[in-house]
Order: sequence, then structure tokens, then C-alpha cells
Amino acid sequence: MSRFLQQLINGLSIGSVYALMAVGYSLVYSIMNFSNFAHGGVIMLGAYFGYYYLTKLGLPFFVAFIASALTTGILAVVIERGAYKPLRERKAPFLYFIISAMGASIFLENIVIATIGPTFKSYPEILSRTPIQLGSVTLGRIDLTMFIISAICLALLVFFIDFTKMGKAIQATSYSVKASALMGINTDLVIIVVFALGGFFAGIAGVLFGMKYTVYPQIGIITNKSFIAAVFGGLGSLPGAVVGSILLGIIETMTSGYLSSNYRDLIAFVLLIAILVFRPSGLMGKITEDKA
Amino acid sequence: MYKKTLALLLVSLMILTMAFTGCSKPETETAAPAEEIIKVGWMGSLTGDQAVWGQCELDTVKMLFEEINAKGGVLGKQLEVIGYDTKGDPQEAVNVAKRLTGQDKVVAILGPNASGNAIPIAPVLEQAKVPDIATVATNPKVTVLDGKVKPYNFRVCFIDPYQGAVAAGYAIEVLGFKKAAILYDVADDYSQGLTQFFEEFFVSKGGTIVAKEAFKFGDVDFRPQLSKIKDAAPEVLFLPIFFKEAALIANQARELGITVPLMGGDGLPSEQLFTMAKDAVQGTYIVNHVDYDDPEVQDLKNRYKTKYNKELELNGYLVHDAVVVFVDALERAGVADSVKITEALETTNVKGVTGQITISKDTHNPEGKDAAIVKIEGDRYVFQQKYSAK
Repeated sequence: MSRFLQQLINGLSIGSVYALMAVGYSLVYSIMNFSNFAHGGVIMLGAYFGYYYLTKLGLPFFVAFIASALTTGILAVVIERGAYKPLRERKAPFLYFIISAMGASIFLENIVIATIGPTFKSYPEILSRTPIQLGSVTLGRIDLTMFIISAICLALLVFFIDFTKMGKAIQATSYSVKASALMGINTDLVIIVVFALGGFFAGIAGVLFGMKYTVYPQIGIITNKSFIAAVFGGLGSLPGAVVGSILLGIIETMTSGYLSSNYRDLIAFVLLIAILVFRPSGLMGKITEDKA
Repeated sequence: MYKKTLALLLVSLMILTMAFTGCSKPETETAAPAEEIIKVGWMGSLTGDQAVWGQCELDTVKMLFEEINAKGGVLGKQLEVIGYDTKGDPQEAVNVAKRLTGQDKVVAILGPNASGNAIPIAPVLEQAKVPDIATVATNPKVTVLDGKVKPYNFRVCFIDPYQGAVAAGYAIEVLGFKKAAILYDVADDYSQGLTQFFEEFFVSKGGTIVAKEAFKFGDVDFRPQLSKIKDAAPEVLFLPIFFKEAALIANQARELGITVPLMGGDGLPSEQLFTMAKDAVQGTYIVNHVDYDDPEVQDLKNRYKTKYNKELELNGYLVHDAVVVFVDALERAGVADSVKITEALETTNVKGVTGQITISKDTHNPEGKDAAIVKIEGDRYVFQQKYSAK
């Protein structure tokens, strides 16, 4: 039983990391209908910003945390203006957006390698590495913090989307950009807000990520998994992204824990494909449910 | 209008950075006119996970060539290194090998450090008849395939069976551990080889492998596997992997309350290990190619530190010996011809900083090299003893 609980905690903590990142994918997809692969690069930069704010500027953790989230929020908007807006204005096919996104992602990774270098950076120890002992189960302090912060952020996001005027505008735009524009919604502003939100979350994910693991230019690779989780949950659906991520985390850990870590990805992804065969739009995809 | 300009600017910036980092830009140093230069190729990771090592190798080669050239070069000619980035990718390694042999016409290639990249370049070398001296590529298949020696592949390090056997032997005979757990990278040649030979030797000496878990390159979370390993209660955790994953694993293992010592091969030693997981890796035993406190290596260590103001990584020592072996073969060949150099390489017997290097004609491996067992204490690798598995 304790083994099961331990693996469940492992799964939840991995899943909550995926969730923070998957939300960024889903937000952008719900409005723009393409997968923003530059998201991984923004997360990576978030981790670096957090590192430098903490070590070089010596900011207190909470300030550094918010500051890097704001920085990546702005950065995401800059990427949108530079890499996507020109395409949007020319009504380019979606494939071009994806290619532009991949280009931005490669650009971000290489600019970090070229300027900062390929070496690893470690966050100063903000939280003790000594875990909390609950009976026979151990719970990492960073994991717990991550879980709580993720939950708070996701709750705030849901609140923002459901109860503010801008949130309503985002929902409307995700139904139809054209119709919303005709109804007097400034869809360009909506897109900026969506990217800023996505970037903000990327910054939070990046700092938490850097704290938990380390910071290096390829850290964005992990977003592949969260992208898959977002598809699994239903691209474009925020609850879907969260549920998909948590499920993927738990499926992965349970496969490693009870079957074989050799076959972890194999089994986890066969399961995902099977689910997608029966529900092509994902668990909570936009065909059956509200987007955003 | 300004938007167009901005977009154009961004795009051109992207293309530029890709050109600088994406494509393999040759890193050369030139000195004398063409006929007085001997071109030597180098390949390894300058980007990606192992860029720290690749950069160190290339820097070391440049430093050594500068020193050799300052003393008049070899056979009266200046040495020039042409280095390309393999990005740690086997396909890219093949491209680089083709470019070095076909376009740059090098007489020999130094590196790469990774077995996964050293194995696929063999056909290119055979076609071009250019020898390669791998640095830290320890997989047996680098020089011998299906019982036949590859004519143009050489190396200066010992091989995985030996390394795995040394780790297993030291764990069971010297440290007295009977129960070991292994956590390895299922997608990596090096890791699989080391795992196999550790397991065989450990079991043949009467030990038990209580848990054998795998992960895949790119993973950052290992707690599912570690939770399972914890339940199996091993006395030692063997990590036949590279420092990045090892550091993350060490941190997570300690968080889960696994307190047993860790053990690893030559993929572990790196200054980066301490940046990432200093507290968690204390007491770790490592099978290494070189004893960092050995008086014989101090000179090289200091020269590198003075020049680049960085600590010399393990790869630096091995690439130094690759250069020593190459220069020795070149001098004995008497002419800068790749086939003659290959012949001379087969009868190599020189002293490098990692020990006496006697290349065997049948395996193209240095035979009978001792491994150095080091233990991490503080931020130092403390030499325990020389050990060879029997």
C-alpha cells in the first residue's frame, strides 16, 4: 500500500509539472488553432531568468519568481509579434505557424547556448532537500510547493477566464475569431493577453523546474511530454490539459512502478493512442465541450 | 513598414544564429602556408548535453597543437586542428566524418568521445582510409565488430566490459557489497554495455542484482524507478550513465531516503556534477581513467587552467593521450600519410598521462590499462587505489 501511495505521489508531482506547461499550449491553441512549439523555449528562458534574478540580482525568491514570470510573459508577446503576427496578417496556412514556432524554439535554444553556454546552472537551495516523512511515504518539499503553486495558478486562471470581461472575450474569440471581431472585441488584444498568460505560466513552470532539476539549454525538451498530455486531455481545453497531464504522470509512474521502467513510454503511449482512437478530440476536446 | 522590417530582422537573426550554432562551423587555427601544414580532424559535441566535454577536448587539442607548433611542429610541419560539432548525434557524426575526410583531407581524426557516435563512422573511415583515435568511447563495438577488428578505428581508453567488471569487482571484493541495484539508460549503447558487464561480473562473483531499472534519454524525473529501487533495499546503486542524469538521480534518491553509496563509470566525473548535486553525490565511487591527484597529470592540468581559466575535464586527459599517440605514430610513419599513420598506430607503445598505452593489433584497444578508483569527498575526487578486474 505504501508503495502504491509513494508512486501516486510521484505521479501527481510529475503530472502537475506537465499541467503547468500543458496549459500554455492549450491556451494558445484554443484561440489560434496551432501548437505553439516555442513554448518550451520560453519555459527554458523562464528558468534562466529566475536563476539570474536570484543569484545575480539577489532578489528574494518570491520577487524573483514573479519577475521571471512577468519577463517571460512579455517575451511570449514579443515572439507573437515577431514570429506569428506577420503570418496572421497575411492569412498564412497553419502549417506556417507551426514551422515559425519551431524556428523560434530552435532560435531560443541556440541563442542561450551561444551567449550563456551549454553548462548547467543550479538554483541556490531555497527549500530544504530533506523530504517530509508521512509514515513510510516521503514527500519532497519542492514537489509539495510545486503542486500547491500549480493548483493556485490554475485556479486563478480558471477564475480569470470565467469571471472577468477579458476572460469572456477570450472564450468568445476561441469560438470564432471573426464573429468576435464583428461584435466589437479587440481580438488582437485578446491574442496578446493569451500569449502573455501563456508566457506567464511558462515562467512559473520554468522557475519551478529549475529549482527542482537544474537549468540547461535543452530543458525545453520536457515540454514534448506536456504537449502530448495536452493532446490527450483535448487541445484547447484547460481542464482537459490539467486532467490529461495528471493522468499521464500517474500512468507513467504506475507503469514504471508495477510493470517495467523499460516499457514505460511504450505502455503509456499505447494507452494514450488507444484513448485517442475512441475519442479523437481527447478526453475533454473542444468538439464535445467548451473551449478555454 | 516597421513591422516588416522587424520581422525581417528577426528572421535574419534566426538564420544567423542557426548558421553560427546549428551548422557545424569549422573551428580552425591557421598559421603557415598550405604545404607546411598537417591537418588533423577533431569531432565531438560542441552543443547539447555533452558540450562541456567536447569543448574541453577541442580546447585541449588546440592548446597542445600550439605548444607543439611553437617547438617546431612534427616532421618540420605545423599541426592544424579542424574541429566539427557532432551535436552528439550519430547521423551528424557520419556527416562530420565525411566532411573531414572528403573535403578537408585530414590525415587522422581525434575523437569522438561518445561510443554512439564513434561506432557509425567506421565505414566512412574505411572508405577514405583515414584512422580515428576515439577518446572516451568505451563500447567494445567501437574497434571490434563481430570478432573482427575495424581497420581504421583506434582508442586510448579501456573498454566497457573492463570498466563494468572493475566496478563490479571493486564493489563486491573490496567494499563487500552483495546486493546491487542498477539504473541505466535504455536508449544508450554505453549504458547498456556497462550494465551488461557489471551484472555478469557481479553475479559471477556471488552477488545479486536486486533491482534493474531503466530510463530514457531526456528524462528528468526518476522517482518512480527510485521508489522501486528503495523497496528492493540494495547496498549500492550502480549508475552506468552520464553526469547530468546521475546528478538528478542522486538528488532524487536522497530525497526519497535512499542513503546507500552510488557507483559509476567514466560518464560521471565532471565539474558539473558538483554544481548540480554536491551534497547528494558524497561518497560516490567512480571507475575512472585517471587519478586527478597523480603527480604525472598535474602539469597538464595546470597548463589548461592557466590558459582557459577552467578545470580540465576528464576528456581533456584522454584527448591529450590521443594527441600523444597520434604524434608518435606520425613521427614513426615519417610522412603525413593516413595509411602509413594507420600502420604505425598498430604498433603504438607510448606513455600518456592516463598510463602506458600499448595498442593491440588485434583489438586496437590499449591493453592492460589500470583503472583508477576514485571516491567523491567534498568537491574532490579522492584516489582510492588502482584496480584491475580478474
